[in-house]
Amino acid sequence: MTQQGLATAPLESARPPRERGLVGTVVNSAWPVAVGLTVAAMMHVMLPTTIGPFYTRIVIDSGIAIILAVSLNIVNGMTGQFSLGHAAFLALGGYTAGMITFYGSLLLWNSPAKQGGFLGSGEWLFAFACLMGGIVATLAGYVVGLPSLRLRGDYLAIVTLGFGEILRVILQQTRPVIDSVEKLKNAGAAQLWPPPVGGAVGFNGLPKYTNLFWVYAFATFMLVVAFRLKRSSLGRAMISVREDEFAAQAMGVNVARIKVLAFMIAAFFAGLAGGLYAHESGLIMSPRDAGFQRSLDYVLMTVLGGRGSISGVMLAAIILTVMPEALRDFDQYRLIVYALLLIGMMLLRPQGLFGIHEVWDWRPRWRSRAATTRSMPAKGGRPNA
Amino acid sequence: MADFAQTLMTALAVGSLYALIALGYTMVYGILKFINFAHSDIVVLGAWLSFTMAQRLLPMLGLDPHNPATTPPLWVGEVILLASMAFCSLIGFAIERLAYKPLRKAPRLNVLITAIGVSLLLQNVGQLNFVFGPSPQKMPALLPTWELLRVSLPSANGNRDVVVGLVDVVIIVTSAVLMIALEYLVFRTKTGTAMRAVSFDIDASALMGIPVDRVVSFTFVLGSALAAAAGFLYALKYPGLNQPAHATWVLLGLKAFVAAVIGGIGNVRGAVLGGFVIAFVEQFGAFYLSSNYRDVYVFALLIAILLVRPSGLLGSTVREKV
Amino acid sequence: MHNSQPPAPSPQPPAASSLLAVENIGISFGGLKAVEGFSVRLPAGGLYGLIGPNGAGKTTVFNLLTGVYPATTGRISLDTQNLNGLKPHEVAAAGIARTFQNIRLFPGLNVLDNVQLAGQLRAREGLASTLLRTRRYAHEESEIRRKAFELLDLFGLQARAEEPADSLSYGYQRYLEIVRALAAEPKVLLLDEPAAGLNSQEKIELAKSIRQIRDRFGVAILLIEHDMGLVMEICEQITVLDHGVIIAHGSPPEIQNDPKVIAAYLGSDVGAV
Repeated sequence: MTQQGLATAPLESARPPRERGLVGTVVNSAWPVAVGLTVAAMMHVMLPTTIGPFYTRIVIDSGIAIILAVSLNIVNGMTGQFSLGHAAFLALGGYTAGMITFYGSLLLWNSPAKQGGFLGSGEWLFAFACLMGGIVATLAGYVVGLPSLRLRGDYLAIVTLGFGEILRVILQQTRPVIDSVEKLKNAGAAQLWPPPVGGAVGFNGLPKYTNLFWVYAFATFMLVVAFRLKRSSLGRAMISVREDEFAAQAMGVNVARIKVLAFMIAAFFAGLAGGLYAHESGLIMSPRDAGFQRSLDYVLMTVLGGRGSISGVMLAAIILTVMPEALRDFDQYRLIVYALLLIGMMLLRPQGLFGIHEVWDWRPRWRSRAATTRSMPAKGGRPNA
Repeated sequence: MADFAQTLMTALAVGSLYALIALGYTMVYGILKFINFAHSDIVVLGAWLSFTMAQRLLPMLGLDPHNPATTPPLWVGEVILLASMAFCSLIGFAIERLAYKPLRKAPRLNVLITAIGVSLLLQNVGQLNFVFGPSPQKMPALLPTWELLRVSLPSANGNRDVVVGLVDVVIIVTSAVLMIALEYLVFRTKTGTAMRAVSFDIDASALMGIPVDRVVSFTFVLGSALAAAAGFLYALKYPGLNQPAHATWVLLGLKAFVAAVIGGIGNVRGAVLGGFVIAFVEQFGAFYLSSNYRDVYVFALLIAILLVRPSGLLGSTVREKV
Repeated sequence: MHNSQPPAPSPQPPAASSLLAVENIGISFGGLKAVEGFSVRLPAGGLYGLIGPNGAGKTTVFNLLTGVYPATTGRISLDTQNLNGLKPHEVAAAGIARTFQNIRLFPGLNVLDNVQLAGQLRAREGLASTLLRTRRYAHEESEIRRKAFELLDLFGLQARAEEPADSLSYGYQRYLEIVRALAAEPKVLLLDEPAAGLNSQEKIELAKSIRQIRDRFGVAILLIEHDMGLVMEICEQITVLDHGVIIAHGSPPEIQNDPKVIAAYLGSDVGAV
């Protein structure tokens, strides 16, 4: 250890805080969102005509997968809780949003069909519905987060899994969709409760609003939140809970608050993505979407990407969305490949592709070793002497 | 009264199945402290192996496997049961050696994820055309449809007959025999003592010269054998076998795990108790409330018990060393 | 040793001047009394020791003081605040920070973030300001960062700020734990065997550092330690625990000559005393 005990030198090396004006703060706060929205709008205008509907759909699916995987990563990766029920939030958000657009359209425009074009009135109803889906999912996230205060690791996994399965069963018992205003007005309590969202066959007939703009607008929202969280006091508190709950407590981290908060943030974005999913053309939101199998897809993305690496999880979300499309002819082998991937990852590289690092932190091994050696002090010497 | 008696009978049979499966979960958890997600797939394997063997064996005996009126002699069922148990033990042993053993020192979450991977693998390999195939099958009848008892009991709309079938009795008796054997093994033999020691403290056991690897392997063999038996009995009770990756199997495994947790995970007697508690809640809830929500009752009970008594009914509170 | 002259034996200070007042606390696990009737009065700026044979209940006392275990009897107060029934994070906020016998850093965070974590205790940012990056948030974050660097610099760890915490050598990890605790700006610092695993040269440095920490940060320190030389050298008052009860309390010379203490240690750690 240091020969002279504590250093008493003046602390000129401490980095001074950078002050920003009000305008600077606003710009600093909003620029990623502005950039993201611009990119999303450009994608919406340009991509479908250049790459065609098949690839457009894959890009949309990837965007939704990114939101779900990155949000799950806040719970599973950053905070270190193991949720196996993420799809429940997706379904909750999707069904809520679907009810709002479907029955909202019915009441506003007498028909559940799409209203208006790009950024038209229908799309705004849809955006509102997605947000509401997120909010309802957040409330559920609070409820599901509560057991995490008392249960650790795999017990929590089972409870979250049970939550998804319960929701799946409940959704199967819902009433058939009421598809006209007259029937809606004449409907009695028996038709309206449990809610008329289609039961086991799924929520048919939703207006298909989901497009590249909204998917990537919300994905931007998700990514900005995830990155800001990671580099903040809250994010550090979350990681400390993952690393050592007990030591985190001793450092004044309110573990209960952090865990529930993580669940709520993750649930909000899953609910949002659920809204997008429910309104994607060619898909029908069904009770199965709440279940374990679907949750597993997103768990796989976080595991593959690296628990805590936002960009790694993004990449994994894209890979695992594109791969099944590529393997479409080998569908019965797809899940076998997934399974081997999971087992292989855990045996060979349990920290995921990128571990806790971001994609851009990655260096070839020989370079990173050189860098470490350089910053390492001579044995026994003062590192900053 | 009649309804009650009939539901009770079903609950006892189903509870025996849950208990058998729960034992496997609880033993593995007791020793290695992780949920062996693939355990339910051993049950599936046991059921489908039984089906495959029955499908092949019955024609050899000159019987039509699709005719429920012609049942083979009882030893055929016994042979199938034992063969299925032996094969599943082997698979359980292999899974532990290949997938779990390398992770003995890894974080528990990694092992859990591996177990999920193994489960996915077994399900989807089972679904392949040249294995069990992707469609449901009908299990040939191995037991005659004897009625051991038929009583007329009063119910809401007049008297009703309550039937005690051979299948239910076979399930209950077979399970009971296996559970008593396990109880004897765990609490009365040297191997059982070693198992309990390893589950108490794996590192200290290794230091005391207990062959930990062998004990862990043995636990998997034992758990898988019980799971195979449960799969066989399940196929007798519910002959409409769903394909290996079907959600009903996942749910069956989950409920059995819930049973283990409710009884106090790691506790062999707790698993049996939990199995019956779950079955009673499920069957009576389904009958008296609504059968649509039978899975909901089970999970609601789980959440309630975990919040009130996180260590389960018979589990002891373990204080984390800090 | 650096300090040949023994510290003046100070009498037990009156209640009014004690910063941390612990009266008669105890806890039992399943009928077994782990700690019983433990009391200590730690004055502001005091440097006290807590010793005893293995299994005497020393760490349990720390766990009681920090709210990990709720005390079944007795009373703990810091300044005028009653700490009974507070959760660990509330105790930390009230002003008690600790280190751990077996180092418990956050290996997934780098050195700087380990220290910055404590910042969230003082800076009360909500989710909204974090996500919007408000001015107040930016200011608080840079304050946290500045203070963290200041502390790291003091302990010669600044150059390693960006490295993972578990890449540090054992000795540095012990120091980083102390830095992390100090970052919480505690009134009382509980050190659980800080010298464990250090060589004799490092122990001398540690002794010096502990005293300097007390002087520079004005923090009261309660220290569990097995190294008798270290405890006798730096502690003003020592409490000896055996089988969960206090068997002696007093200045180092008093403790060294206490027959009960010698009896408790006989056959185990006599050489060090």
